[in-house]
Amino acid sequence: MPLAMLRPGETACITEIIGGRTARAKLTDMGFVSGKSVKIHRSSGGSLIVGIGDNRIALGRGMAHKVIVNTGGCEN
Amino acid sequence: MALNKRERKNTELKVALAGNPNSGKTTMFNELTGSRQHVGNWPGVTVEKKIGRAFYQDYSLEVIDLPGTYSLGAYSEDEVVARDFLTAGDYDVVLNIINSANLDRNLYFTVQLLEMGVDLIAVLNMADEAEKKGIKIDKNKLSQLLGTPVVETVASRGRGIDNLLEQTIQNRDLAEVSLKIDYGSEIEDLISEVEEMLKQYDFSQQINQRWAAVKLIEHDPEALKLLEREVGASKAKKIKSLIAERELKAEDDFDNIIIDRKYEFINEVIAESVKRPAADEEPENVSDKIDAVVTNKYLGIPIFMAVMWAIFKFTFTLGDPLIGYIETFFEIAGGWIGSQLLEIGVSPLISSFITDGIIGGVGSVLVFIPNIFLLFLAIGVLEDSGYMSRAAYVMDKVMSKLGLHGKSFIPMIVGFGCNVPGVMATRTLDSKRDRIISILINPLMSCSARLPVYVVFAGALFSSHASTVVFSLYIMGIVMAVIMAGIFNKILFKGERSHFVMELPPYRFPTLKGVIIHMWEKVGAFLKKAGTIIFSVVVLIWVLANLPLGVEYASAESFIGQFGQLAAPIFAPLGFGSWQAAASLVFGILAKEVIVGTLGVVYAAGEGGLRTALLANFTPLAAYSFLTMVLLYTPCIATLGAIKSETQSWKWTLVTASYLFVLAWITAFVVYQGGLLLGIGV
Repeated sequence: MPLAMLRPGETACITEIIGGRTARAKLTDMGFVSGKSVKIHRSSGGSLIVGIGDNRIALGRGMAHKVIVNTGGCEN
Repeated sequence: MALNKRERKNTELKVALAGNPNSGKTTMFNELTGSRQHVGNWPGVTVEKKIGRAFYQDYSLEVIDLPGTYSLGAYSEDEVVARDFLTAGDYDVVLNIINSANLDRNLYFTVQLLEMGVDLIAVLNMADEAEKKGIKIDKNKLSQLLGTPVVETVASRGRGIDNLLEQTIQNRDLAEVSLKIDYGSEIEDLISEVEEMLKQYDFSQQINQRWAAVKLIEHDPEALKLLEREVGASKAKKIKSLIAERELKAEDDFDNIIIDRKYEFINEVIAESVKRPAADEEPENVSDKIDAVVTNKYLGIPIFMAVMWAIFKFTFTLGDPLIGYIETFFEIAGGWIGSQLLEIGVSPLISSFITDGIIGGVGSVLVFIPNIFLLFLAIGVLEDSGYMSRAAYVMDKVMSKLGLHGKSFIPMIVGFGCNVPGVMATRTLDSKRDRIISILINPLMSCSARLPVYVVFAGALFSSHASTVVFSLYIMGIVMAVIMAGIFNKILFKGERSHFVMELPPYRFPTLKGVIIHMWEKVGAFLKKAGTIIFSVVVLIWVLANLPLGVEYASAESFIGQFGQLAAPIFAPLGFGSWQAAASLVFGILAKEVIVGTLGVVYAAGEGGLRTALLANFTPLAAYSFLTMVLLYTPCIATLGAIKSETQSWKWTLVTASYLFVLAWITAFVVYQGGLLLGIGV
């Protein structure tokens, strides 16, 4: 499911980044890569604050729909 | 890679700092060069190419601070600057500043540089933060795996700097080997074929061929452009169709595979060289706890407003008493110098030039140094603490209704200091549409140059409500910016949308050094402006007030008086149709501070000062209408110049200059006529 659908406090594993070239590249630059674990820290209807490791990143809702995650969590 | 290396003297080196935003790059630059520089904490603080000099033993190093970038993808103009510099290769060594506490993402950039064949030293900065988190990095192993020297530093405490300089000099002639990541047989075969074709087509040998091939396979737009330039459209097409043909057969897009392989490589490197404490769950850190309050759905905007209000209170409560002292100083100095001049027999004309013109004019502007000083101090703390990017996040909801996103809010806050850096800060925005709209509305952010005007009027006419009146003007500016952004969004560039991704750096205590450097840089710029532009305008006004010869100084018959009378009818419906007010507004376009100086001259302040003159000539309502005009009308020449150079277009410059005048006129009209109807402040 897309990252945007997660609720605050939930953690998931990134499985895929979709969308256009630029959007995808921007997300990968910031550390959104398949196999990484992400946590939703804040979601206020608009943009989200997500955590990848110690990084906190503000993400527009549109962008958050391009990050596909698996709520099962990452293997390690 | 490094083309001009050998042409420099043996003891001179050219070194560039490159790295992710928030890796401590600017702090490192300050530490190396001790230059008057700004240390920020939000993405993209370095908007210009900053150059400084460092000395070590007999060596002299030219140090260039490149804008912070996450990759060589080059989406915003900032990143293009960094990328162009790095690919051109005119340097000896690149110091790649890495946040040790955040190794994997930082190494993504390092790996890209190494693949390109950049001669770099990997600088593991913020080593103390990594230690605190229990992260142990095996430097030697990391160096071996990356094939490049690795140095540890803590720039914020000056730790490891000498060693870094030593290593920089020792490694000035790094062997030009580039990193090779294995992209898997499918892509590797294609890379060889593309490389072969590039060789056949005489593709520039100065560019790493493997890197170029990988970039082409990734469909990197810049690389494709470069290819067409180098080998021509028809040969470029052959390469492109070969890649497209293979990609169809592949199970995934090549760029996805390449990105995944890069991260896999980084994970392998980290697994072998870094030990981390095993923690399943990232514990909530202090920043998260602060964010829970500061970015709260309901509290976020009120907190932001409260922060802004606190900044104004701080600026005024602390600044006003100081203003009094400086005012007194200039009055006494002017009087004393005047009498001395008369005594030694200087003609009254020259004496008037020095006392009324120079001391009076420039003095009336310099009086506001405490306010400006404090305002920049506050903005510096806001930036360096990390709150700025939170404010951007909080405002994202409002901004997105206008078709912009939160990141566009940062240039607006910078604009409160001065619109010139505000306009320049739009470089970090990656869509042209966002940039243009942000530039168009930036002058609506009330800059510190307009503050003197508010303070003089508020002090004279709204004594007990002075700070409320001034604050209301700032709010009016923001409201107008919001409205105009909404309008521009409707009529300009429909459909284009950008992507909102912004790092929220951990909160930090701003360092005294960083804030002082920042503040001093800005106040220095203000003093320079007072010494050049404002000085010249003040002289010009004095001359115009004395011509034609024999006219009474600054009277209605002088040139400035005639000039003002010509412009006055435009402003009559706004409640300030006097030639004095009109003249001050016209000269205010040269620099907003000049408005106060001009009023000082044309009201021939002298006895009782400008405040008394204003009290006699303005009703509170007319004064508020005048301040509305000052807030909103045509920006100063320096800002228009910045807009021209940033947009590369006279059209947008003229659009800004004229729409703001019209907006200001209409708003002041509504304020004045509305006030008259309601009988407020008449």
